[in-house]
Amino acid sequence: MAKENKEELLTLAIESSCDETSAAVLRGGRTILSNIISTQIPVHQKFGGVVPEIASRKHIVNIMPVIDECLREAQVKLSEIDQVAVTYGPGLVGALLVGVSAAKSLAFSLGVPLIGVNHLEGHIFANFLSAPELEPPFMALVVSGGHTALVDVRGYNNFHMMGQTRDDAAGEAFDKIARVMGLPYPGGPRIDALAKEGNPLAIDFPQALTEKGNYEFSFSGLKSAVLNYINSEKMKGHELNKPDIAASFQHSVIEVLVGKAFQAVEEAGRDTLVLAGGVAANSGLEGRLREEAEKRGVRFLYPSKILCTDNAAMIGCRGYYQSLSGRFSDLYLNAIPGLGLADCDD
Amino acid sequence: MSILAIDTSTQVSSVAVASKERLSAELTMQAKLTHSETLMPHIEQVLKMASVAKDKLEGIAVSIGPGSFTGLRIGLAAAKAMAYALDLPLVGVSTLKALAYHYPVQGVRLVCLLDAQKGNAYVETYRWEHGQLKVVDDVQVAKIADVVDWCARMEEPVVLLGDAVQKKVVGKIDLPQNVTAAPAHLMMPRAACVAMLGLEELAAGRNDNIMALEPVYIRRSEAEVLWEKRHPEEAKKTLPTEEM
Repeated sequence: MAKENKEELLTLAIESSCDETSAAVLRGGRTILSNIISTQIPVHQKFGGVVPEIASRKHIVNIMPVIDECLREAQVKLSEIDQVAVTYGPGLVGALLVGVSAAKSLAFSLGVPLIGVNHLEGHIFANFLSAPELEPPFMALVVSGGHTALVDVRGYNNFHMMGQTRDDAAGEAFDKIARVMGLPYPGGPRIDALAKEGNPLAIDFPQALTEKGNYEFSFSGLKSAVLNYINSEKMKGHELNKPDIAASFQHSVIEVLVGKAFQAVEEAGRDTLVLAGGVAANSGLEGRLREEAEKRGVRFLYPSKILCTDNAAMIGCRGYYQSLSGRFSDLYLNAIPGLGLADCDD
Repeated sequence: MSILAIDTSTQVSSVAVASKERLSAELTMQAKLTHSETLMPHIEQVLKMASVAKDKLEGIAVSIGPGSFTGLRIGLAAAKAMAYALDLPLVGVSTLKALAYHYPVQGVRLVCLLDAQKGNAYVETYRWEHGQLKVVDDVQVAKIADVVDWCARMEEPVVLLGDAVQKKVVGKIDLPQNVTAAPAHLMMPRAACVAMLGLEELAAGRNDNIMALEPVYIRRSEAEVLWEKRHPEEAKKTLPTEEM
């Protein structure tokens, strides 16, 4: 690498794992020069969820304008870019491939290193962008559409998995239940909003794997219980009390997440808990974690709203720290739709 | 003028460096590896084989479809990003038309068939007339078996080309007397043909908009078609977003 001072490295990052096309430029690991996000939410709304083929079609149209815009906003010339970071999983394969292919081609054309980034690690690293003073070690609670996990972040390239989801992720349960209640996509924020008007203790929904020391998650039982409840209410001819259902469901999810998160913080001896992933935008979860953190004297951080969504800046941040320990990719990099979180120690 | 050509529209991965006078290098393979893995390493290799530095290229031609949706997007994303980074003109060329470049001979009907799934193909037919390639029948989606029957009724010799022939015709359908399947090395898309077609377009001053260029899908996504079936009234009111 040409630059002696790593803080001056310019990273171009690309993210296209689901329904946002995003590109960003970072200086060093923490300074966002631009972070352009083109969302497709309105396109997928009428289908009640993300349609993979349509998402891919949008990405191939959006990718170059988004990259062009991110350079313009950063006031950086493409030739000044030192490295290219890209999400290679998890996500929708066809969507990921657009970003991966463009990133590989840019890295090759510019003659700069390529860095394949795990989207979930990117979500954790979004916290470094929101909180400049944050440094490892800390505990991370990852709650996104497809994943729920507790990760002990011991260093920038040293993670230890405390546990992750066995079946459905929390985000999936939110989406499915929102759909059954007839709420428009994306369902998570709608449930969060409805829950504020409802009674969280109105309906007793189950909480799984709550025994001490178990850091795995399971939300499929909860999902079924809520769906069964809705069906039986409908069959009885009762009008659904949507606020109460939303609040009670959300309460079950949140209590499991909060309980395990603080147990993990304690077991690992951490003083900081960070929240990461799309569901981090859930105000109910954020509020409960904050309350519990205050009670226990634990520092609690979560990314700003925009950094909770799928965005390229967090990919650039993760990519930057990977580059410090030489974790680059070659031009054979492929998309891995089912990529998970795993232990890592560089 | 050396250009880079890319074809990832089918299971064949093909890249070439060519000028009007010669095909400098071509790397074509149909193996198990995915386009995503092989395309960029192949581009790197083919430039090396041709002894052409990437900053000495003067254009890029990419096979734009129809074909495998994902394959087309991998090729197009790479082509666009490279054209953007190296500030090169980019042209998208028809995958079907490039196939017809295998047989620049008069008196033959070239029937190009690219797999459209479920026994269907994207079909276009061509004829060379006085050194010019002419479209005889515009692109349509048809049952492969019906296309073969249709060819039997053509009065001239017919050559079948394309991945749908490799997958669904050879060894599976008895061909009428006037119809032959192209041999294996000429049946599938090759970047050399994309390059020759692209060179003509570039010389004519064509430069596609890299910001907006999309694959030629022909078909909309299944989700969209299904949605319209279920919402006929609303579909009439709003133009589908994926309409070509």
